[in-house]
Amino acid sequence: MASGPRQRQAGAMSRRAFLQASGGAAGGAWLALQAPAVLAAAQAAVAARAAGQPFRHLGAAEARGLEAVTARIIPSDETPGAREMEVVYFIDQAVGGFMAAEADTLRQGMASLDALAVETGGRPFADLPPGAQDALLPQVEDTSFFSVLHFLTVAGAFALPTYGGNRDHLGWQLIGFEHRHAWAPPFGHYDAEAMGQELPASGHGKSHDHG
Amino acid sequence: MAEQPRFPLREPVDFVIIGSGSAGGILARELSVAGFTVVVLEQGRYRRTHEFTHDELAIAFHDEYLGGQRGGDPQSFRHDAGEAAAVPEIPPAYYARMVGGSSVHFSANFWRLRPVDFKERSLLGGIENADLADWPLDYEELEPYYTRVDWEIGVSGAPGPFDPPRSRPYPLPPMPNKSSGVLLEKGARELGLHPQVAPVAILSQPFNNRASCVHCGFCMGFGCEMGAKSSTLVTMIPQAEATGRCEIRPQSTVHRIETDARGRASEVLYYDAGGQEQAQRAKAVIVAANGAETPRLLLMSASGRFPDGLANGSGLVGRNLMFNAHSSTYAWFEQPLNDYKSVQCSRIVHDFYESDPKRGFYGGGAIDARPFLSASPMLYALTGLPPDTPRWGAGFKRDLAYGFTRSMMLAASTTSLAMDRNNITLDPELKDRYGRPAMRVTYNDHPHDLAMATFLQDWAERIVAAAGAEKIWRKPVGPETIGAHLLGTCRMGDDPARAVVDRYHRSHEIPNLFICDGSSMVTSGRGQPTMTIMALAFRAAEHIGEFARRGEI
Ligand SMILES: Cc1cc2nc3c(=O)[nH]c(=O)nc-3n(C[C@H](O)[C@H](O)[C@H](O)COP(=O)(O)OP(=O)(O)OC[C@H]3O[C@@H](n4cnc5c(N)ncnc54)[C@H](O)[C@@H]3O)c2cc1C
Ligand code: SF4
Repeated sequence: MASGPRQRQAGAMSRRAFLQASGGAAGGAWLALQAPAVLAAAQAAVAARAAGQPFRHLGAAEARGLEAVTARIIPSDETPGAREMEVVYFIDQAVGGFMAAEADTLRQGMASLDALAVETGGRPFADLPPGAQDALLPQVEDTSFFSVLHFLTVAGAFALPTYGGNRDHLGWQLIGFEHRHAWAPPFGHYDAEAMGQELPASGHGKSHDHG
Repeated sequence: MAEQPRFPLREPVDFVIIGSGSAGGILARELSVAGFTVVVLEQGRYRRTHEFTHDELAIAFHDEYLGGQRGGDPQSFRHDAGEAAAVPEIPPAYYARMVGGSSVHFSANFWRLRPVDFKERSLLGGIENADLADWPLDYEELEPYYTRVDWEIGVSGAPGPFDPPRSRPYPLPPMPNKSSGVLLEKGARELGLHPQVAPVAILSQPFNNRASCVHCGFCMGFGCEMGAKSSTLVTMIPQAEATGRCEIRPQSTVHRIETDARGRASEVLYYDAGGQEQAQRAKAVIVAANGAETPRLLLMSASGRFPDGLANGSGLVGRNLMFNAHSSTYAWFEQPLNDYKSVQCSRIVHDFYESDPKRGFYGGGAIDARPFLSASPMLYALTGLPPDTPRWGAGFKRDLAYGFTRSMMLAASTTSLAMDRNNITLDPELKDRYGRPAMRVTYNDHPHDLAMATFLQDWAERIVAAAGAEKIWRKPVGPETIGAHLLGTCRMGDDPARAVVDRYHRSHEIPNLFICDGSSMVTSGRGQPTMTIMALAFRAAEHIGEFARRGEI
């Protein structure tokens, strides 16, 4: 690809800066990452996971550390968090595919965070209690490591489950999004009210996945 | 469907049309139905309705319809000529590369211009640092073509209190109102405004053998799996192909229009799907590659005879780029709106259409209700939360869970003034994968445009407050860095020194070169240009067909 000297690699920091800056309606923040997703590989990952196979691109310790950070971004409490959504499997896919260019950022960032955890708490990040983990994160919050991981956590929670995350649509259930091919009015409380109807109780249960 | 013809490259077809989008699709259909042979060169792929998905990661984040990683075709951006241009993450001239062009992935908000739009220069006089001009035609002349658009492609709506006259009613009743629309109505009425149905190029009922919208919600930025969105892909292009006289040639990236010894357009050079250079001869060429790619192509086609690019005697090719300015006001309500369902907009406020000297600045615009980026989960999670939401942790999760079903946005869109400083030029260094000079976009909104966007944002905030919002926040108004409305860069006008094409879209310099797309627009309208682009295309096709029949090309 002939791209000029000024063409930057897509960096999570600038994406974030863009997001913060963007106010235009057209502009919208259609974030652009740098390469096409490898959906077939993602599907293979889903199959591998179902068969109990380990990660394809991440080392076990790396995966454990990254998963621990995602679990602080979207924590598990009375509802499932990033851990139950299996965001880390999405990340495993992403670093082997469309986020390959950021794989080193993730690896190095995780290694630094672990070093920091050992220095301050005597244990790698994943082995610290949640309170101690939360106390460390502000120190890395402005790094590109955290930006990339934040993006991947959100993507892993909310992208189609075929990419390896959003297990059993737990991400979608968290926000009340139901993926259906078709809807009929009333759609929400206020249009139902205007029609003099009740909004049918929305089953936040399973819905079909249309890929 | 009739077998698509394959026209030989070395024999001139009647028309080569470059680009198959909103304008190109219509021109192809009209001219092939009228009996002419037509080859449409489209750089993007030929995707069919059944290939469209709800894959947010692929479409919104990996730019699947933009060609994926900009199709190896980077664009650079700067706010003014004094800055070095850089390549941003998201292409500043944002459009879909595919058969059907941006009409496939657009939101389908569908407004006519009004009589005032065509003659604001005469009505208001000049504006500092802007090149406000009258159109060479008026509303009355375009009205029959607006009506044709309504009935040819299928538009759903109902008349509003300030609408311009129409010769036929809407072909289809309005789409169902959404919660965001109900709330806009409530707040706006409380303030004495006149909310109205938002017309959309989407089928509320079956029409011309097409199914109606099923309210899937994956609409803005996505292709419609039902074929209910009235793109040229599902309306005009199949009809063009059915004539047996129109060949749609996808994955054909045009890099040059060649002229002959007489200075007439003679053939169109392009790279085919395999990257091989090809040349299609034609008796006449119509450029419909949109307000960004059309000027780029004309500038790239510079030659000894036309050193500043084709059709550029006026120096206005690429100049006067207009995006429409915007502002966004967000709100949460107590009960779920579920605005992620169905089309983007169902209601709109048009009370601020006309420029009003009392405001102290030029401009007009509208406020519509929609989910915007909160229509889909990832974009919502990354962009749809209030500024005081923590970025991670329990607070992030709490707001994530709370806001998706309860949020809406009031989008204001406004006029953009034509200015020389806002333009498309060729980047002097950057090349695309074919070695073509990359597009460089220079854009900085006129202060009046930003003032108008802010003025409407103030109203929007009042409206959601009056509707009972429990939380309201605004995105700061600032100069645009991305445009999905690409307008004005080859404006029409009678004076060859002040316009690129004449009132019939014929270029002032090259008699068999026509230009018809968003670039033709003289002013920007108040926000949703595509219906006008389509009406212009119907009108242009009629005149161009006449010229061809009379041997006047
Ligand atoms: C997300 C989004 C939402 C939108 N929503 C709305 C809306 O609600 N209402 C509204 O009015 N407008 C909307 N728009 C804008 C609308 O899509 C455009 O105004 C309209 O489609 C422009 O029509 P056009 O014919 O000028 O160009 P396009 O539709 O962009 O068509 C140009 C075609 O030419 C092709 N092309 C370009 N260069 C070459 C080349 N060198 N060789 C071969 N082919 C080439 C392109 O691939 C493309 O297919 C939206 C746009 C976007 C991106
Ligand atoms: S909301 Fe309707 S028009 Fe839009 S994509 Fe879905 S079905 Fe098509």
